[in-house]
Amino acid sequence: MVLKLYGFATSTCTLRVAVVLKEKNVPFEFIPVDLLKGAHKAPEFTAYQPFGQVPYIDDNGLILYESRAIGRYIAAKYASQGTPLLPTDPTAIAFFEQAASTETSNYDPFVSGLAWELKFSMLFGGKTDEARAKSLQGQLSAKLDAYDVILGKQKYLAGNDITLADLFHLPYGAVVLDVGLDEFSSRPNVARWWKDISSRASWEAVKGGI
Amino acid sequence: MVKLYGFTHSTCTRLVALVCKEKNIPYELVHVNLAKGEQKDPAFTANQPFGQVPYIDDEGFILYESRAIARYLSKKYPNQGTSLIPSDPKAEGLFEQAASIEAFNFTAFVAPIVAEKVFKPRRGLQPNEERVTELLAMLQGKMDAYDAILGKQKYLAGDSVTLADLSHLPHGTVFCQAGYAEVFESRPNLSRWWKDISSRPAWLAVKDGA
Repeated sequence: MVLKLYGFATSTCTLRVAVVLKEKNVPFEFIPVDLLKGAHKAPEFTAYQPFGQVPYIDDNGLILYESRAIGRYIAAKYASQGTPLLPTDPTAIAFFEQAASTETSNYDPFVSGLAWELKFSMLFGGKTDEARAKSLQGQLSAKLDAYDVILGKQKYLAGNDITLADLFHLPYGAVVLDVGLDEFSSRPNVARWWKDISSRASWEAVKGGI
Repeated sequence: MVKLYGFTHSTCTRLVALVCKEKNIPYELVHVNLAKGEQKDPAFTANQPFGQVPYIDDEGFILYESRAIARYLSKKYPNQGTSLIPSDPKAEGLFEQAASIEAFNFTAFVAPIVAEKVFKPRRGLQPNEERVTELLAMLQGKMDAYDAILGKQKYLAGDSVTLADLSHLPHGTVFCQAGYAEVFESRPNLSRWWKDISSRPAWLAVKDGA
């Protein structure tokens, strides 16, 4: 049975899973969840995803949610096909985990906060909290200075090979750029890395929506 | 011996210390003087480009990000002390789901709440009460989902404790100490789980200092 991806066609977290599926050449069936109608809060949904969030997968009866957990599961299950996205050597694994954790704590809070303030809050009838957006931008800027140092010594975040950790940056990075906030171009190593990962065929295939 | 560069009361430093205690890994805490800004000195940022604690030096191998360090140590000593990360593919997938839940559905809310209510006042700053109210409201919904999950299984990834459960302890404990224990105690399954993990000898050994 083909893997089922339950999500929203343009949702950042749904795209985070989709880019991994594409990179690993894993066929999947996309089942849209109507967020605007509140389908993600309905009991039929929360029975599978108790937080009422997209996406989740059904892989032959195994239900899994949290986009990064799904990405890791796919990359491990299909290790021998498509692009290798998880290292196997213990030292390389440690550096991968360092990079993956860096994305969750030194990138995601700022870019997802900016995405909310500058784009998504408006879709739900809210407005931009300018002070918060400014604060988040300042914090993101400082973090990307550290990224520029790291990426001046190696091609990707975990070393010289691409890993899941790099790909996980794509969805929110793209939203923030889309609303006109560019903290990448002014930092040469970050700019090089962003251009590299965002021009991959797997991302091009899904970035406009599944 | 593992050298743990950190601050005795830092949440993230104590996560690493906790894992060392669970796995019977001897470590030496090397005190980083945060009050003097030592973590921003070039000698420090050469090892940790974000200028944050902790990082470890394991016989010359440098690693930062407490969750990455925790995973590295758990995997380096799989058969020593408590087993913290499963190796079976399905169990590992569910572990990754639980680890992601901790980062994005717990710490993402609890850490900024304690930053406002505990860490800012220590620096003579006023908490942003409106932000705290907002974060707490969002956290309550997340804790309802936790209670649903923990009504069906003993721990977040299944019926065995994993690193995903333990990762809640540092910030969760400060949160309780700040007067928010009722958020856990008012939910029966969540309360049971919190009592269980927070009374582990390894946590009691480091909760007041790494």
